Amino acid sequence: MTDLLASSAQTWRDRSADPPVIPDELRPPAHAGARERNRALWQRHDLRRQRAEDVYAASRNPVRGWPVSGNRAVLAFFGDLVRRSRGTFVLLIALNALAAASALVVPRLLGALVNRVEAQGAVVEGLDGLALAVVGVVVLQALFTFGAQRTSTYFGQDLLASAREYIVGTILRLPVGRVEGASTGDLVTRVTRDVGTMARSVQWGVPRLLISLSTVVLSVVAMLLNSLVLAVPALLVFSLCTPAVRTYLRRAPRAYITEGATYSRINTTLTETVEGARTVEALGLSGSRVRAGEDDIEVSAQAERYSMTLRNVLFAALNGAFQVPQVVTLVVGAYGYSRGWVDLGQITAAMLYVVALGEPLDAVIGEVDRLQVGAASTSRLLGIAEVPPDREAGDRLPAGVELVGEDLRFAYREGHDVLHGVDLRLRTGERLAVVGPSGSGKSTLGRLLSGINRPRTGTARVGGVDLVDLPLEVLRTEVALVTQEHHVFIGTIRDNVVLAREDSTDDAVRQALAAVGALAWVERLPDGIGTTIGSGRQALTPAQAQQVALARLIIADPHTLVLDEATSLIDPRTARTLEGSMNSLLAGRTVVAIAHRLHTAHDADRIAVVIDGRIVELDSHDELIALDGEYAGLWRAWTS
Amino acid sequence: MQDFPPRVATFFTGTDDAPSPDPDTRSPLAFLRWILRQQTALLAVSSLCYALWFLPMTLGPWIFGRAVDQGIVGGSTTALLGWAALLLGVVVVGGVFGVVSHTLVVRSWLVGLYGTLEMVTRKAAQMGHVLPRRSPTGEVLSVASSDSDEFGALTEVLARTIGQLASYLTVAFIVLTMSWQLGLLTLVAAPLILGVALPLLRPLHRRQEVERSRTSDLTSLATDIVAGLRILRGIGGEQTFGANYDRQSQSAKRAGVAAGIWQAVVEAVGVLLSGLFLVALVWLGAREVESGELSVGELITFLGYGLFMVGPIRTFFEFAQKGVRSLVSARKAVAIFEQRAPWRDPSEPVALDGTASLVDSASGLTVRPGILTVVVSAVPEQSAALADRLGRYLPADTDPVPAEDDEDARGRAARRARTERARERARIAALDEERATREWGVTIGGVDLASASLAEVRRTVLVSDTGSQLFAGTLQDAIDPHGRLDREQAEHALRVANAEDVYDALPEGWQGQLDERGRGLSGGQRQRVVLARAVAADAPVLVLVEPTSAVDAHTEARIAERVAETRRGRTTLVTTVSPLWLHHADRVVLLRDGTVVAEGRHADLLTGNDDYRHVVARALDDEEAVR
Repeated sequence: MTDLLASSAQTWRDRSADPPVIPDELRPPAHAGARERNRALWQRHDLRRQRAEDVYAASRNPVRGWPVSGNRAVLAFFGDLVRRSRGTFVLLIALNALAAASALVVPRLLGALVNRVEAQGAVVEGLDGLALAVVGVVVLQALFTFGAQRTSTYFGQDLLASAREYIVGTILRLPVGRVEGASTGDLVTRVTRDVGTMARSVQWGVPRLLISLSTVVLSVVAMLLNSLVLAVPALLVFSLCTPAVRTYLRRAPRAYITEGATYSRINTTLTETVEGARTVEALGLSGSRVRAGEDDIEVSAQAERYSMTLRNVLFAALNGAFQVPQVVTLVVGAYGYSRGWVDLGQITAAMLYVVALGEPLDAVIGEVDRLQVGAASTSRLLGIAEVPPDREAGDRLPAGVELVGEDLRFAYREGHDVLHGVDLRLRTGERLAVVGPSGSGKSTLGRLLSGINRPRTGTARVGGVDLVDLPLEVLRTEVALVTQEHHVFIGTIRDNVVLAREDSTDDAVRQALAAVGALAWVERLPDGIGTTIGSGRQALTPAQAQQVALARLIIADPHTLVLDEATSLIDPRTARTLEGSMNSLLAGRTVVAIAHRLHTAHDADRIAVVIDGRIVELDSHDELIALDGEYAGLWRAWTS
Repeated sequence: MQDFPPRVATFFTGTDDAPSPDPDTRSPLAFLRWILRQQTALLAVSSLCYALWFLPMTLGPWIFGRAVDQGIVGGSTTALLGWAALLLGVVVVGGVFGVVSHTLVVRSWLVGLYGTLEMVTRKAAQMGHVLPRRSPTGEVLSVASSDSDEFGALTEVLARTIGQLASYLTVAFIVLTMSWQLGLLTLVAAPLILGVALPLLRPLHRRQEVERSRTSDLTSLATDIVAGLRILRGIGGEQTFGANYDRQSQSAKRAGVAAGIWQAVVEAVGVLLSGLFLVALVWLGAREVESGELSVGELITFLGYGLFMVGPIRTFFEFAQKGVRSLVSARKAVAIFEQRAPWRDPSEPVALDGTASLVDSASGLTVRPGILTVVVSAVPEQSAALADRLGRYLPADTDPVPAEDDEDARGRAARRARTERARERARIAALDEERATREWGVTIGGVDLASASLAEVRRTVLVSDTGSQLFAGTLQDAIDPHGRLDREQAEHALRVANAEDVYDALPEGWQGQLDERGRGLSGGQRQRVVLARAVAADAPVLVLVEPTSAVDAHTEARIAERVAETRRGRTTLVTTVSPLWLHHADRVVLLRDGTVVAEGRHADLLTGNDDYRHVVARALDDEEAVR
């Protein structure tokens, strides 16, 4: 046998020389002049940007886990969703334009009022009429605002619901082989955190961006209409902040994604520390866990400093760009007034416009920011859809129930075959136990025999048809792989049982439950088979949960069962009550039991001993004992 | 002035840092005060900077008005340029302090947030396995992940409120000097508007609450689907659960729409009220101009302030809201931080002799030194309880008590429930303390474990129980968390636990990354890495609880043999019923109802003791269910 630790010397590392989590260059110099300090600040800022770029790049090309799609896919995805609700979209824009327009009329009316006051001095004619006009406009503005907000809610919620339902739909279509092999941790993160981030940007970001953008555009139009002389210089000053805004928008999303990553790192470490409190204590790891937490915070603080500096630069530019136009309006206005180009009313209106323009502009920047962060999450969600399907169903249906594997080879990593040409012909109705050391390939054999994975070479066929060419609905009723998992889903008992044949009648469900001895307690539940069970709902005992898992298989009614360490499906403490349930499931079926314990093997019709990807022994217990090979040696160790 | 990350060294004393003060946990309010007191200087300076940042909004309309009066209508260029220069000055000051105040509030926010995070970590480190006995893990984590943010937000909103207050008072002064009627209208109307809008907020919050709860249900549905994805893709049921998700998604959408419509109402009412206020202001102002009490410029000033006043008032309401939220968070934080470790190290701690016999009086077990003892029990919990006692762990026999309940009890009922829960927590704490301070009942070399320091006990006896967890990091970190081993020792540990395949599966070998809690590994792999880590720790007394329950027979046989060999000469105790271990045991002990009923060698007991045969054979029987 090859030494699996052959490369140990190359990969072992002396950790005492590890660099600190935060390189010294990221700490401010202790004694330095103002100039030196300023230079060092920008150097650190650049270094932090590099770190953010690295984190972002890593998040786009995960080494492990599921793929991430590109930005174009995100745009296409939302473009498609928006097109589907084109009507609402147009209504949203229209209502919002009306609301913004009526808001922009008010300063003009106020300006007109100032003019009258100025011109007529003592007697203000038509003051009441003007005031009533403003009231009318304000009421209209309120109504349009309501309409626009309401439409935006419908629009945003619709978009969000379609997006998340699509995502869950793609998860439910993930290739069977990938699901069986991969860790679900990454998927959990995606359906929780990434859906949350996407939700925030879709639900609020998209409508608000539309609203703010149209407000900005209309404000500019209103300013120009009010007075060209006053508007142009002010708008020029506004536009001075464009380079700063563009730089910010280019960098900020990466900064926030990095920041988010540091916080989830903090949470992961802390969760491990709290959930593993006993382990931490037992191994005397408290000190190093505290330090790990401090390190995480140090890293996070660097990410926060980066985004803080980005914002500071932006704010410096925006504060200038939003406030200086007031001064410009004042000076230009005064000059224009003395020249008779503008009147006081126009100056007043211009001032009010200038002050009011800051808010929607700010919102546009903020929402673009938020949308970019949301897009990054969405691209992780859409990445799920990019997993290529692992099978295409043919139209041939099996003729017979005989399951045959020929010359089966399989590799998880290229060049590392775990099975080396296994031939196995199951006898209908037999109990076959598969035993062997861990890593010998027995679980892989089980997956190939149940059509979860496609063998690299060779075939696994039932009734003459390749398992992986069968439509899933058919495959599931031919052969089922039963693993340790007996997850109880949030849903009714019926939902939990009908899995393989979703059109089953209630009677069929009851019969399945009865077959595993579960009908009695199910009928005692408040809503019978309609009772909602699962995490946070009606709790089941472990034995009940296992019975539900078994009832699923009764409904599926496959002629062949592959039990992979299925003894763990049955908790030793509940085994007694479940023995009958299990027996009624197995009766009349061909069973391949990948055995955990030798006594399972003892009573099987045949035993296959798998070592290093090959079946080295295959016969009944007695014959194998007589053969005095691998199995016999193990058996002696077990029973002596 | 404090900077982030703050230096926190409270609760846990295992690091070399000089201790920092413990938070005040006498009440939630005291805790909030403590948090704020930690950064008094920072808060004072950032409030001042906020006020300076608001300067353009505070003084801008007034300057503009003066400029109109004197410079534009009055026609004085010098006056105009003077006022314009002043406005520019104010804008520049505001701009500079905008940046400074942002820097400072980020600082105080993060001092609050990171400080809380560090305190939670240190509390967890200090309490060890006792913390999950008393508080739900979820609550401990939520103090770190969300309540810490509330405390950060509180510091920010406090500084902003003080800054806005200064600004508001300045504006009030200015408008009152110009016209007391209009000034009064301005001062009264703004709170009035928000007072009218406020009742609308309550139904809005209720609807948002519904939306939040449906969204969180939706998230748990999605998580549930992912958790059971292997079954859904393997056995079927995609349509059923996909439809369930869609249904819940639509219901969350309806709740979101309901909340959104109220939001629309609130905003529209806001637009209406502030618009009407403006009209009233203008109408009254125009009349005053007419009567000569007010100049045109002053009217323009009022128009500017009409928009301004809503800002500060909104901030004050925000402060009130966040204050209430922080109090709730503080209650949860206090429930964690106020806990004290039950252990009292003896005044004269005794050193323990790891090479002596270990005696448990409750079960009557004597673990002889230097050999492999296997404990067999028909009920696994009883051997686990024995292992807990040997290692001086409090049994996991309590229901953790949350500080806040999700149930939306309000008012008196909520307070009563809270008191009830606080009492229950105190009861558990008292029980822990009682157990932890009296004689423990397990001796090593005749010395009761309570006579030694807890650190000494942990050094001497290592219990690796079934809940043992792996941590994210490299494989090297997992086997050698302290960095004490050389390569040969680590390799040896991997071989003893027959976990070489884990090494082989990672292309980077020792530097291969394990996910959090070893999630990428199979159950059997995880168990073997845990075992390797326990073996590598090389404790004088090693207690392994069901160390190979998820491992196949071939591997188990190998592990049992290697563990027996490598631990020869040191005390080792394994709880299991597997014959493959029993075969290698120097001594086997049979436990019934938690007490020792038989001991001897496996072969002898198998032939001589029916009870024993029954237990060991029953373990075999269970698998026959598969037949």
